[in-house]
Amino acid sequence: MRDRASLIGASLAAVGAALVLAACGGAGAANPPQPDLALGCPTQWRAGWQKLASDVHAPVYCPRWMPNPLDGRIGGEWNGLRILDKHGGYLVSFIYQETGSGEVHVNFHRFPGTAMPLCRKELSKQMIPCYSDPHGTVRANGIVATFYTVSRDADQWHLSYLWRHDGATYVVSEHVAPPYTFKQVQLNLTRLLRSLVLVQPS
Amino acid sequence: MSLTRRQVLAGAAAGALGAAGVYELVDRLTGSGPERAAAGELPPEQHVLDGVRTVTENGVEVLVPPLHHEVVTARVKVAGSSDLGDARRALEQTLASLEEGFPPNPGGLGITLAWGLPYFERLVLAQWRKNAPYDRRAQKAALLPARRFTSDPATTILEENEVAVLLRSDSLDNLAAAAHELFQQLDVFEPTSIRRGFAGGGFDGGKSLPKRMATAAGVPGADLIPDESELFLGFTSTQAQGLGPRRIANLETLGYVDLPTPYFREGTHMHLSHLGEQLDAWYQLFDFRDRVDTMFRPGLRVASGTRTVRQAPKDVATATDVVRGYHRDGTIGHSAAIQTASRLAADHVADDGTVYAKGTAVPQRADFNTLDNPFFWSASPERDGMRDEPAAGVHFVVFNPTSDDFDRVRRAMDGELPDGTRLEFPVDNSRQGINSVLTTTHRQNFLVPPRRNRSFPLADV
Repeated sequence: MRDRASLIGASLAAVGAALVLAACGGAGAANPPQPDLALGCPTQWRAGWQKLASDVHAPVYCPRWMPNPLDGRIGGEWNGLRILDKHGGYLVSFIYQETGSGEVHVNFHRFPGTAMPLCRKELSKQMIPCYSDPHGTVRANGIVATFYTVSRDADQWHLSYLWRHDGATYVVSEHVAPPYTFKQVQLNLTRLLRSLVLVQPS
Repeated sequence: MSLTRRQVLAGAAAGALGAAGVYELVDRLTGSGPERAAAGELPPEQHVLDGVRTVTENGVEVLVPPLHHEVVTARVKVAGSSDLGDARRALEQTLASLEEGFPPNPGGLGITLAWGLPYFERLVLAQWRKNAPYDRRAQKAALLPARRFTSDPATTILEENEVAVLLRSDSLDNLAAAAHELFQQLDVFEPTSIRRGFAGGGFDGGKSLPKRMATAAGVPGADLIPDESELFLGFTSTQAQGLGPRRIANLETLGYVDLPTPYFREGTHMHLSHLGEQLDAWYQLFDFRDRVDTMFRPGLRVASGTRTVRQAPKDVATATDVVRGYHRDGTIGHSAAIQTASRLAADHVADDGTVYAKGTAVPQRADFNTLDNPFFWSASPERDGMRDEPAAGVHFVVFNPTSDDFDRVRRAMDGELPDGTRLEFPVDNSRQGINSVLTTTHRQNFLVPPRRNRSFPLADV
């Protein structure tokens, strides 16, 4: 069995190779491997996301791909938080953290309503947008997501994609920290966004 | 044959002076410098660099700084005052020769020699006592040992270099030629540190040098530096009305200083420090609105993405504005706070009859970004905390009339305003905006003699 450091190393090598392909304008840049969305939420992860949808009585987005070494199994080895609120909001986090080899941390949110979520400003009572400094949008799977480079609260130090669906606001974010660089995190998030599949409450 | 430590260090410094290191990238990134106006006669002030081009950005007149900068600090090799005369003549000859070879403008070469208190006290103490400028406003010497400020960490090193040579040019070759002549051909200095950096490069469109260098070096946060930003932190610092006019920083101009003799007339004071800049925090924890609030003042209306924010005399914040903002927002803006000390509080008639209007800036900044960590080369790598990996930072070079004048401005940055108001901040600087992303590693004050006495000052007296 491979250890965590070598798993991350292999993943970074793959990202590096993808960047080289992109820089060279190779076929890999134009057609990066895409998850087969027809397959839906991965079998081993589906139960957790289905239960989440049922618990919040709203659709949730299940990832078909996660940055190495994480997986997307709620209740699994890498799942950190699973926090629900009374209004259909949630925060589900996946985190890998080890001294020396870094941190890989992905958060999934649903906020009820389509207004920009508000966070308390540090050392203040003032409420400010949880996500700011937009840097363009990405379209994938019917999602039109805005990329934010400043994120707050549970997403501090994260890059975030935010989009609206069915009267709610969804966010997926990843911490910018070694072993991944800013660009690699951005690539991770875009790939993750493209892998999302909607799971309806049963 | 074994080498003495001094020989080894001298050899290492010579190697470092000739090496480009991470700055090799600059050659590939810049090509030739921008078009520059020709400069005329050499001014009597060493710190004044003529021929600086101006551009208009966002309706604001901006001075285009030289692309490349180098500061070499050193100890004087001369053992006693008897050899100083020879050293003085040799150095002056080299400087004059460099000035013949390179026009005194950014397209050519700017050279400024600044001398530290240890030089005056070790080698020309008697003459120093008779000629030292005295800050009558502060009731202190005009040149003071460096000090730590409230927001400085305890680890900030207060340096004791004898001399600092500031070289500025759009051409790296010109800098290298000058460094070669001054520190390798001439045998009067023993370098203690070499500090290198860059500024601007984005004024004519395209990515600026700080953006390209930080990105190429893989510095955290580099991806979020605005493409055309003059400096790492995303805003333009060299707007004409934000810098002191030509003679204002001279020792004699504002009347702050008593000059026992005319020896240092047309000279000034220079503060040199190195600050690490945590760019990832600046761009990921502060959004554009926060960055404007922090860099300028809370609530200032600025269009998103603006790099050049007008800082004309009419835009200057007063102490009352700063205190009001502090009580309302719990924080202060960097520019607003320092303007309480860096801008004239009233119209001022200078010694030559020039009228400087209220709100005019006094300090003349010559700072530049760097990837040095903290220096390009150090003779005391352990003491200076030298690291191999590049790090974003700024070599802060500023000319003020006196050490105390610099101190007043720097204290204002920490919320200690010139009227005695003291705005309290948490020890971790978290409410103090820009201080939370800056770490000062080194500081020192220097005296910049006029051009005529730049070479081993007071050795001829």
